[in-house]
Amino acid sequence: MSFDLQKILESKRALRRDLAARPVAEKLRLLDALRERELAIRGRIVHPAAGVLREVPRSYGEKKK
Amino acid sequence: MSIKEVITVVNSMQADGVIEPYAIGGAVGATFYLEPVATLNVDIFAVIESVPGSLIANPKRIYDYLTARGGTMEREYIVIAGWPVQFLPPGTPLVEEALKEAVVRDVDGTPARVFTAEHLAAIALQTGRAKDKARLLQFVEAGVLDAARFQAILARHGLVAAWQKFERQFLGDEL
Repeated sequence: MSFDLQKILESKRALRRDLAARPVAEKLRLLDALRERELAIRGRIVHPAAGVLREVPRSYGEKKK
Repeated sequence: MSIKEVITVVNSMQADGVIEPYAIGGAVGATFYLEPVATLNVDIFAVIESVPGSLIANPKRIYDYLTARGGTMEREYIVIAGWPVQFLPPGTPLVEEALKEAVVRDVDGTPARVFTAEHLAAIALQTGRAKDKARLLQFVEAGVLDAARFQAILARHGLVAAWQKFERQFLGDEL
Protein backbone atom coordinates (compact mmCIF):
# COMPACT_ATOMS: atom_id res chain seq x y z
CA MET A 1 0.00 0.00 0.00
CA SER A 2 1.24 3.44 -0.92
CA PHE A 3 0.28 6.90 0.31
CA ASP A 4 1.85 8.55 -2.76
CA LEU A 5 -1.07 10.49 -4.21
CA GLN A 6 0.35 10.45 -7.74
CA LYS A 7 0.65 6.67 -7.63
CA ILE A 8 -2.87 6.32 -6.23
CA LEU A 9 -4.34 8.56 -8.96
CA GLU A 10 -2.44 6.72 -11.71
CA SER A 11 -3.60 3.40 -10.29
CA LYS A 12 -7.22 4.62 -10.32
CA ARG A 13 -6.86 5.82 -13.93
CA ALA A 14 -5.42 2.45 -14.92
CA LEU A 15 -8.32 0.62 -13.26
CA ARG A 16 -10.85 2.83 -15.06
CA ARG A 17 -9.08 2.22 -18.40
CA ASP A 18 -9.10 -1.52 -17.72
CA LEU A 19 -12.81 -1.50 -16.85
CA ALA A 20 -13.70 0.58 -19.92
CA ALA A 21 -11.78 -1.79 -22.20
CA ARG A 22 -13.61 -4.91 -21.05
CA PRO A 23 -16.19 -6.54 -23.36
CA VAL A 24 -19.61 -4.86 -23.30
CA ALA A 25 -21.36 -8.00 -22.05
CA GLU A 26 -19.01 -8.12 -19.06
CA LYS A 27 -19.53 -4.42 -18.32
CA LEU A 28 -23.31 -4.89 -18.41
CA ARG A 29 -22.99 -7.79 -15.96
CA LEU A 30 -21.03 -5.42 -13.72
CA LEU A 31 -23.94 -2.96 -13.93
CA ASP A 32 -26.29 -5.75 -12.82
CA ALA A 33 -24.05 -6.43 -9.83
CA LEU A 34 -23.62 -2.73 -8.99
CA ARG A 35 -27.39 -2.24 -8.98
CA GLU A 36 -27.99 -5.22 -6.69
CA ARG A 37 -25.34 -3.89 -4.31
CA GLU A 38 -26.78 -0.39 -4.34
CA LEU A 39 -30.29 -1.68 -3.63
CA ALA A 40 -28.96 -3.79 -0.75
CA ILE A 41 -27.21 -0.77 0.74
CA ARG A 42 -30.27 1.43 0.35
CA GLY A 43 -32.39 -1.21 2.08
CA ARG A 44 -30.14 -1.05 5.14
CA ILE A 45 -30.00 2.71 5.46
CA VAL A 46 -32.35 4.07 8.07
CA HIS A 47 -34.05 7.09 6.61
CA PRO A 48 -32.51 10.17 8.26
CA ALA A 49 -35.95 11.55 9.07
CA ALA A 50 -36.87 8.54 11.19
CA GLY A 51 -36.39 9.15 14.90
CA VAL A 52 -34.92 12.60 14.41
CA LEU A 53 -36.46 15.50 16.27
CA ARG A 54 -37.26 18.23 13.80
CA GLU A 55 -38.53 21.67 14.39
CA VAL A 56 -40.91 22.86 11.75
CA PRO A 57 -40.48 26.59 11.19
CA ARG A 58 -43.59 28.67 11.66
CA SER A 59 -45.26 30.26 8.69
CA TYR A 60 -44.71 33.94 8.17
CA GLY A 61 -46.98 35.94 10.44
CA GLU A 62 -47.93 32.95 12.61
CA LYS A 63 -47.78 33.76 16.32
CA LYS A 64 -45.66 31.73 18.73
CA LYS A 65 -47.74 29.46 20.97
CA MET B 1 -31.73 -9.31 -12.82
CA SER B 2 -30.00 -8.78 -16.17
CA ILE B 3 -29.69 -5.93 -18.65
CA LYS B 4 -29.07 -8.47 -21.40
CA GLU B 5 -32.57 -9.87 -20.78
CA VAL B 6 -33.96 -6.33 -21.02
CA ILE B 7 -32.25 -5.92 -24.41
CA THR B 8 -33.67 -9.25 -25.60
CA VAL B 9 -37.21 -8.16 -24.64
CA VAL B 10 -36.81 -4.75 -26.30
CA ASN B 11 -35.51 -6.45 -29.47
CA SER B 12 -38.68 -8.60 -29.46
CA MET B 13 -40.79 -5.45 -29.13
CA GLN B 14 -39.08 -4.01 -32.18
CA ALA B 15 -39.42 -7.27 -34.15
CA ASP B 16 -43.14 -7.45 -33.25
CA GLY B 17 -43.67 -3.85 -34.41
CA VAL B 18 -44.54 -2.50 -30.96
CA ILE B 19 -41.81 0.13 -31.20
CA GLU B 20 -39.79 1.66 -34.00
CA PRO B 21 -36.01 1.10 -33.92
CA TYR B 22 -34.93 2.01 -30.41
CA ALA B 23 -31.66 3.14 -28.85
CA ILE B 24 -30.25 2.69 -25.37
CA GLY B 25 -29.20 5.96 -23.74
CA GLY B 26 -28.30 7.18 -20.26
CA ALA B 27 -25.79 5.47 -18.03
CA VAL B 28 -26.36 2.06 -19.61
CA GLY B 29 -25.71 3.52 -23.07
CA ALA B 30 -22.56 5.21 -21.79
CA THR B 31 -21.32 1.90 -20.40
CA PHE B 32 -20.93 0.65 -23.98
CA TYR B 33 -18.03 3.14 -24.28
CA LEU B 34 -16.87 3.86 -20.72
CA GLU B 35 -16.27 2.07 -17.44
CA PRO B 36 -19.53 0.90 -15.80
CA VAL B 37 -21.20 3.47 -13.55
CA ALA B 38 -23.89 2.36 -11.10
CA THR B 39 -27.42 3.17 -12.24
CA LEU B 40 -30.85 2.12 -11.08
CA ASN B 41 -32.76 2.18 -14.37
CA VAL B 42 -32.49 1.68 -18.12
CA ASP B 43 -33.43 4.46 -20.57
CA ILE B 44 -34.79 3.27 -23.90
CA PHE B 45 -35.44 5.94 -26.51
CA ALA B 46 -37.95 5.13 -29.23
CA VAL B 47 -40.55 6.83 -31.37
CA ILE B 48 -43.80 6.05 -29.59
CA GLU B 49 -47.02 6.18 -31.58
CA SER B 50 -49.35 9.07 -30.80
CA VAL B 51 -52.81 8.88 -29.34
CA PRO B 52 -55.02 8.84 -32.48
CA GLY B 53 -55.85 12.41 -33.46
CA SER B 54 -53.28 14.04 -31.17
CA LEU B 55 -49.56 14.57 -30.68
CA ILE B 56 -49.52 12.96 -27.23
CA ALA B 57 -47.39 9.81 -27.07
CA ASN B 58 -49.39 6.69 -26.36
CA PRO B 59 -47.38 4.18 -24.35
CA LYS B 60 -50.36 1.87 -23.84
CA ARG B 61 -49.24 -0.55 -26.53
CA ILE B 62 -45.82 -0.86 -24.90
CA TYR B 63 -47.28 -1.45 -21.46
CA ASP B 64 -49.86 -3.94 -22.74
CA TYR B 65 -47.13 -5.88 -24.56
CA LEU B 66 -44.82 -5.96 -21.56
CA THR B 67 -47.37 -6.63 -18.84
CA ALA B 68 -48.60 -9.60 -20.91
CA ARG B 69 -45.03 -10.92 -20.64
CA GLY B 70 -44.61 -10.46 -16.90
CA GLY B 71 -43.58 -6.81 -16.77
CA THR B 72 -44.89 -4.79 -13.86
CA MET B 73 -45.49 -1.07 -13.48
CA GLU B 74 -43.49 0.89 -10.91
CA ARG B 75 -44.19 4.64 -11.01
CA GLU B 76 -43.06 5.87 -14.45
CA TYR B 77 -41.08 2.69 -15.09
CA ILE B 78 -41.94 -0.78 -16.26
CA VAL B 79 -39.89 -3.48 -14.60
CA ILE B 80 -38.35 -6.01 -17.01
CA ALA B 81 -36.01 -8.74 -15.77
CA GLY B 82 -35.69 -6.91 -12.46
CA TRP B 83 -34.67 -3.59 -14.06
CA PRO B 84 -36.92 -0.51 -14.09
CA VAL B 85 -37.06 0.53 -17.74
CA GLN B 86 -38.26 3.91 -18.97
CA PHE B 87 -39.39 4.37 -22.57
CA LEU B 88 -38.70 7.91 -23.71
CA PRO B 89 -39.78 9.60 -26.94
CA PRO B 90 -37.09 11.78 -28.55
CA GLY B 91 -37.84 15.19 -27.08
CA THR B 92 -35.32 17.32 -28.98
CA PRO B 93 -33.91 17.41 -32.54
CA LEU B 94 -30.60 16.22 -31.06
CA VAL B 95 -32.17 13.09 -29.57
CA GLU B 96 -34.12 12.51 -32.81
CA GLU B 97 -30.83 12.56 -34.72
CA ALA B 98 -29.17 10.34 -32.09
CA LEU B 99 -31.97 7.81 -32.50
CA LYS B 100 -31.62 7.78 -36.30
CA GLU B 101 -27.83 7.41 -36.18
CA ALA B 102 -27.66 4.86 -33.34
CA VAL B 103 -25.36 1.89 -33.87
CA VAL B 104 -25.82 -1.83 -33.29
CA ARG B 105 -23.40 -3.45 -30.84
CA ASP B 106 -23.08 -7.11 -30.00
CA VAL B 107 -23.74 -8.22 -26.42
CA ASP B 108 -22.72 -11.87 -26.23
CA GLY B 109 -24.61 -12.67 -29.45
CA THR B 110 -27.54 -10.33 -28.78
CA PRO B 111 -27.73 -7.17 -30.91
CA ALA B 112 -28.23 -3.96 -28.96
CA ARG B 113 -28.96 -0.59 -30.55
CA VAL B 114 -27.20 2.23 -28.69
CA PHE B 115 -26.52 5.94 -29.21
CA THR B 116 -23.07 6.78 -30.55
CA ALA B 117 -20.52 8.06 -28.03
CA GLU B 118 -20.60 11.50 -29.69
CA HIS B 119 -24.38 11.76 -29.39
CA LEU B 120 -24.33 10.56 -25.77
CA ALA B 121 -21.73 13.23 -24.98
CA ALA B 122 -23.71 15.95 -26.81
CA ILE B 123 -26.93 14.93 -25.02
CA ALA B 124 -25.07 15.09 -21.69
CA LEU B 125 -23.90 18.61 -22.57
CA GLN B 126 -27.40 19.67 -23.55
CA THR B 127 -29.04 18.16 -20.46
CA GLY B 128 -26.42 19.80 -18.27
CA ARG B 129 -27.10 18.34 -14.80
CA ALA B 130 -24.11 17.70 -12.54
CA LYS B 131 -24.14 13.98 -13.35
CA ASP B 132 -24.31 14.75 -17.07
CA LYS B 133 -21.26 17.00 -16.81
CA ALA B 134 -19.42 14.24 -14.95
CA ARG B 135 -20.34 11.80 -17.72
CA LEU B 136 -19.18 14.23 -20.39
CA LEU B 137 -15.83 14.52 -18.60
CA GLN B 138 -15.58 10.73 -18.59
CA PHE B 139 -16.10 10.67 -22.35
CA VAL B 140 -13.40 13.30 -22.85
CA GLU B 141 -10.92 11.63 -20.48
CA ALA B 142 -11.50 8.20 -22.01
CA GLY B 143 -10.60 9.56 -25.45
CA VAL B 144 -13.48 7.75 -27.17
CA LEU B 145 -14.96 10.76 -28.98
CA ASP B 146 -14.33 11.43 -32.65
CA ALA B 147 -13.55 15.16 -32.37
CA ALA B 148 -14.72 16.13 -35.88
CA ARG B 149 -17.97 14.20 -35.54
CA PHE B 150 -18.60 15.62 -32.05
CA GLN B 151 -17.94 19.21 -33.17
CA ALA B 152 -20.29 18.77 -36.14
CA ILE B 153 -23.08 17.60 -33.82
CA LEU B 154 -22.48 20.57 -31.50
CA ALA B 155 -22.64 22.98 -34.44
CA ARG B 156 -25.83 21.44 -35.86
CA HIS B 157 -27.63 21.69 -32.53
CA GLY B 158 -26.48 25.08 -31.27
CA LEU B 159 -24.25 23.68 -28.53
CA VAL B 160 -20.92 25.29 -29.45
CA ALA B 161 -21.20 28.05 -26.81
CA ALA B 162 -22.20 25.51 -24.15
CA TRP B 163 -19.19 23.38 -25.08
CA GLN B 164 -16.83 26.38 -24.90
CA LYS B 165 -18.17 27.17 -21.43
CA PHE B 166 -17.72 23.53 -20.40
CA GLU B 167 -14.14 23.59 -21.73
CA ARG B 168 -13.36 26.73 -19.73
CA GLN B 169 -14.89 25.26 -16.57
CA PHE B 170 -13.49 21.77 -16.65
CA LEU B 171 -10.79 21.40 -19.29
CA GLY B 172 -8.96 24.70 -19.00
CA ASP B 173 -5.47 23.29 -18.45
CA GLU B 174 -5.79 20.33 -20.76
CA LEU B 175 -6.48 22.13 -24.04
